[in-house]
Amino acid sequence: MFSYIARRVLATIPVMAIVALFVFSLLYIAPGDPAAVIAGDQATPDDVERIRASLGLDRPFLVRFGEWVWRILRGDLGVSIFTNLPVTTMIGQRVQPTLSLMVLTLILAVSIAVPMGVVAAWRQGTLIDRAVMGFAVLGFSVPVFVVGYLLAYVFALELDWLPVQGYTSIDQGLWPWLENLILPAIALGGVYIALIARITRATMLEVLQQDYIRTARAKGAGQGNILFLHALKNAAVPIVTVIGLGIALLIGGAVVTESVFAIPGLGRLTVDAILRRDYPVIQGVVLLFSFVYVLVNLLIDILYTIIDPRIRY
Amino acid sequence: MDRRGFLKAATSAAAVPLGAAGLSAPALSQGAAARTLRFVPQANLANFDPIWGTQYVVRNASAMVWDLLYGVDDKLEARPQMVEGDEVSADGLTWTFKLRDGLRFHDNEPVLAKDCVASIQRWMRRDALGLMLASVQNELAAVDDRTFRWSLKKPFPKLRFALGKSGTPCCFIMPERMAKTDPFQQIGEYVGSGPMRFVRSEWVPGAKAAFERFPGYQPRPDAGTWLSGAKRMGVDRVEWHIMPDPATASAALQNGEVDWWENPITDLVPTLKRNRNVAVDIADPLGNIGTFRMNHLHPPFNNVGVRRAVLMALSQEDYMRALVGDDNNLWKPLPGYFTPGTPLYTEEGGEILKGKRDFDAAKKLLAESGYRNEPVTCIVAQDQPITKTQGDVTADLLKRLGMNVDFVATDWGTTGQRRAMKNPPGQGGWSMFHSWHAGAECGNPAAYIALRANGDGAWFGWPNIPAVEAGIAEWFDAPDLAAEKAAIAKVNRVALENVVYAPTGFFLGYQAWRRNVSGIQKGPLPFFWGVSKT
Amino acid sequence: MSATALRLPDAAVPAATPQSVAEAAPLPDVLPPVRPRRGFLGFLRRNPTIAIGAGLLLLMLFVAVFAPLLWTTDPTALAPARRTRPPDSTYWFGSDMLGRDVYSRVLYGARVSLLVGFAVAALSSIAGLAIGLVSGFVRWADGIIMRIMDGLMSIPPILLAIALMALTRGSVGNVIVAITIAEVPRVSRLVRGVVLSLREQPYVDAAVASGTRTPMIIMRHILPNTLAPITVQATYICASAMIIEAILSFIGAGTPPIIPSWGNIMAEGRALWQVKPYIVFFPAIFLSVTVLAVNLLGDGLRDALDPRMAKRL
Repeated sequence: MFSYIARRVLATIPVMAIVALFVFSLLYIAPGDPAAVIAGDQATPDDVERIRASLGLDRPFLVRFGEWVWRILRGDLGVSIFTNLPVTTMIGQRVQPTLSLMVLTLILAVSIAVPMGVVAAWRQGTLIDRAVMGFAVLGFSVPVFVVGYLLAYVFALELDWLPVQGYTSIDQGLWPWLENLILPAIALGGVYIALIARITRATMLEVLQQDYIRTARAKGAGQGNILFLHALKNAAVPIVTVIGLGIALLIGGAVVTESVFAIPGLGRLTVDAILRRDYPVIQGVVLLFSFVYVLVNLLIDILYTIIDPRIRY
Repeated sequence: MDRRGFLKAATSAAAVPLGAAGLSAPALSQGAAARTLRFVPQANLANFDPIWGTQYVVRNASAMVWDLLYGVDDKLEARPQMVEGDEVSADGLTWTFKLRDGLRFHDNEPVLAKDCVASIQRWMRRDALGLMLASVQNELAAVDDRTFRWSLKKPFPKLRFALGKSGTPCCFIMPERMAKTDPFQQIGEYVGSGPMRFVRSEWVPGAKAAFERFPGYQPRPDAGTWLSGAKRMGVDRVEWHIMPDPATASAALQNGEVDWWENPITDLVPTLKRNRNVAVDIADPLGNIGTFRMNHLHPPFNNVGVRRAVLMALSQEDYMRALVGDDNNLWKPLPGYFTPGTPLYTEEGGEILKGKRDFDAAKKLLAESGYRNEPVTCIVAQDQPITKTQGDVTADLLKRLGMNVDFVATDWGTTGQRRAMKNPPGQGGWSMFHSWHAGAECGNPAAYIALRANGDGAWFGWPNIPAVEAGIAEWFDAPDLAAEKAAIAKVNRVALENVVYAPTGFFLGYQAWRRNVSGIQKGPLPFFWGVSKT
Repeated sequence: MSATALRLPDAAVPAATPQSVAEAAPLPDVLPPVRPRRGFLGFLRRNPTIAIGAGLLLLMLFVAVFAPLLWTTDPTALAPARRTRPPDSTYWFGSDMLGRDVYSRVLYGARVSLLVGFAVAALSSIAGLAIGLVSGFVRWADGIIMRIMDGLMSIPPILLAIALMALTRGSVGNVIVAITIAEVPRVSRLVRGVVLSLREQPYVDAAVASGTRTPMIIMRHILPNTLAPITVQATYICASAMIIEAILSFIGAGTPPIIPSWGNIMAEGRALWQVKPYIVFFPAIFLSVTVLAVNLLGDGLRDALDPRMAKRL
């Protein structure tokens, strides 16, 4: 098993290398010259050249790439063009809100969607099943920001149960932290819940047809036992896979959700940086997100060996 | 108790065991909350060097952290601020300045004359008036710790105004070590001698910025308005919460999550006005002038006939209504280049912008001028509501005129870069871009870079109209107000005839605050001194 | 054992042992048994999701194509004096902040969203097919190509699309290209999976042994088997592309505003959604309905073409 883990870890290195190359070259060929933007209105062409040199924009591609990778590996993601702060600092300031949002959404989505899918599979063909599946398709179809605005309008403005916007750090209290995150988590989780519910239902349906389920029933196991102990455990692999793949959805959706609810997280940082062409920040954030995504899926691959003993690599 | 309060109470009761585990923290006490002012600024505070970055939002924040030698009041007169007094020699060529006693920077170092000299030198390289000063100066040097002297080759009566104006970049005084930074690089620390300290550790660019009262600040004894007089802080802490989405900011203000919103959009103002806890008023009586600038170097706008044809068809009402909505109090037509309500305002030569719009005559003029369907590369920044809205109206205008529009939707940063290029539009250049100017800077030609028409030295668009420059020079030398007015009338007429740029109208904006906040002034920037909460 | 025992899906109930193939009763459908009807109508009856999905989609297509004839005015015509009027007899969906007619903009906006959806689906299917085929057949290329695809997939699609859009001007063409690049990796993975599994089939071996050239093998054996999964995946990509376009426009990195698309109509109306919700509301409904239709179509196709696909997708 350890060789399996080692191999999986090694396999992620070329993937990350591709991501790094892609992220780096993306911005190298970008039109728009940050040096001119920085120089501002009254600058002479000489000033612009000086800034270019100081930013290192005039050296050849491979040299810049090599230096960049070397710096990244030592934990230095560069300095933001517009705020002069190190990119790692800027990311560090905004990690907590985004992480909180994503973790909460994950917990919420899984705890709602898995039971939903199980119930739908159990009561297949009935109204509950149709309702759950209908809700799932709806969850895919309505854009995140529309759901966000709707929720904010109903629960924050009209009913005044929850705040409209913002983020409170957890060290100011559990409830203040939660109350700012509930609406965004529901908005963000909609698509995720839909996805997980569907896969859960589909996999459960398949599993429930298996012989061992009938055997368990014949042996007198109760239905809760059957559903959760036998069926769900065997259905776990695809469900966990989808949870891992869905992290990409979460990251993408976080960008919009943070905008709607004014959460000072990484998503907003990314959008601001991209629209301002703040290269070091863009590179740092995209790299970070990809790394997280790869890491999560790696962990899930490793998790397989625990969940499903049949998987021997 | 409102519903949220009830929910909170209910759940805190349930959370008592968690509290015992140390997870819940004491809520901000009533007293502390009243000493913190939560403000929503017009834009993100991305960088914090007021000389390097000339955006209004940077200036607004910097006004708290750094102080000025002089400060304009609400009549745009420069009054001494850090300076105790000045002496001008009889021939107007030598100025001697003496600093007030006891001025300190936030690191408790005293403010010395050499700090002022270095700061002025850094500022001069980025400011239009500063560049003019640089061209007429002999020497600027510190005489002793509290005195410095400036000797000029020509008299410069606007010197105090230049040092105390509110237009960016302002001549903020920084410690010498910071002021020695190249003006095209950002400073690395934010130490000033203003009434508030910048709390760097809490700065989250794009989300939040925090300022704390500097106990060592020495306010002037005399009361004043705007940038002049005593800058006494009524709160201990100012927090800037950046909210790019106006709907979110509006809801936050109504819910009491923030205290003061710099520029609510006009469509949301009626809702705010209806809220019993919110007060709404005009932000700056000197307002703003909307503009788009045409590129005088390349076709089609290098042809004055084409430019005039556009002015003929331009409907300022369309632009202004699109910007400020149905409220007629918020806009005025502007048949000229100077701020309404200021002494030098004139409508001389403005007939082309007045009256019903005649598209046929405009199209005729266009054809007669020799417009051959050259493409108009129109740069419109989407992330600034003012430029975005104007851009949409312009596209419609040019289309109706029958011109060939190449609409380039981009962002404010790229606009800043692209407008500096002198290449032809087809090769990375531009034909027109949109912007706006604060009315406070358009009262007279002193700081009005957009009005200059000296070719390469002019603002983007590079209009080259000697008659305008002659008129401006005349104004600089005018001995009294009557002479100034005559000179300005001439400038206005000639500038309009040659279309230095296209004014789209004069408009005002609102600001909104919660009723428990008092001391909010109307002005070209938000003033945080004198503001307190109950 | 409780009375409400686990209800197993009907298909698991073994049919009575047939005496011969001809006598075998048709397996019961998952839906309550109806007299199976022949022909097109029968097909629709058996697959209501396809019927509803296709029907709604055709309605949207009709609206998009015939927009000029459906009592619309020029969607870009400004009338600032009549801005933000609520829906009334002249402005069926109200007017926006520049006085433009929201009804006309929404109808014309259908063109952009549908164009983006279909174009991305088509292009990414073709590109993914090509890449997947190459990857499946040319072994030495397989490793490299799949690493690259993995790398691209590690970057959350929205971030990738935003980053690509930041390089260029906003235009419908660029949006299509950006989203296609983000979606191609998944299709190529899918095709490669099919190719790999089919390559080992005996009939493919036989074809190779009998000297059939590779292109023939692809055309005759591989392609037909990829069509079904690609078609289903294409519908999901179509839905996803429409939502990504809306999100791109929403954050200002998408279709230029001079061309109305549902995304940028919502983006422009977002500042006013509390006081003039109709500007966001109408395009949101149209977008949700269209995406829903496409998702339903995809689900229906998947169930109709091959129920086993539910596992893989």
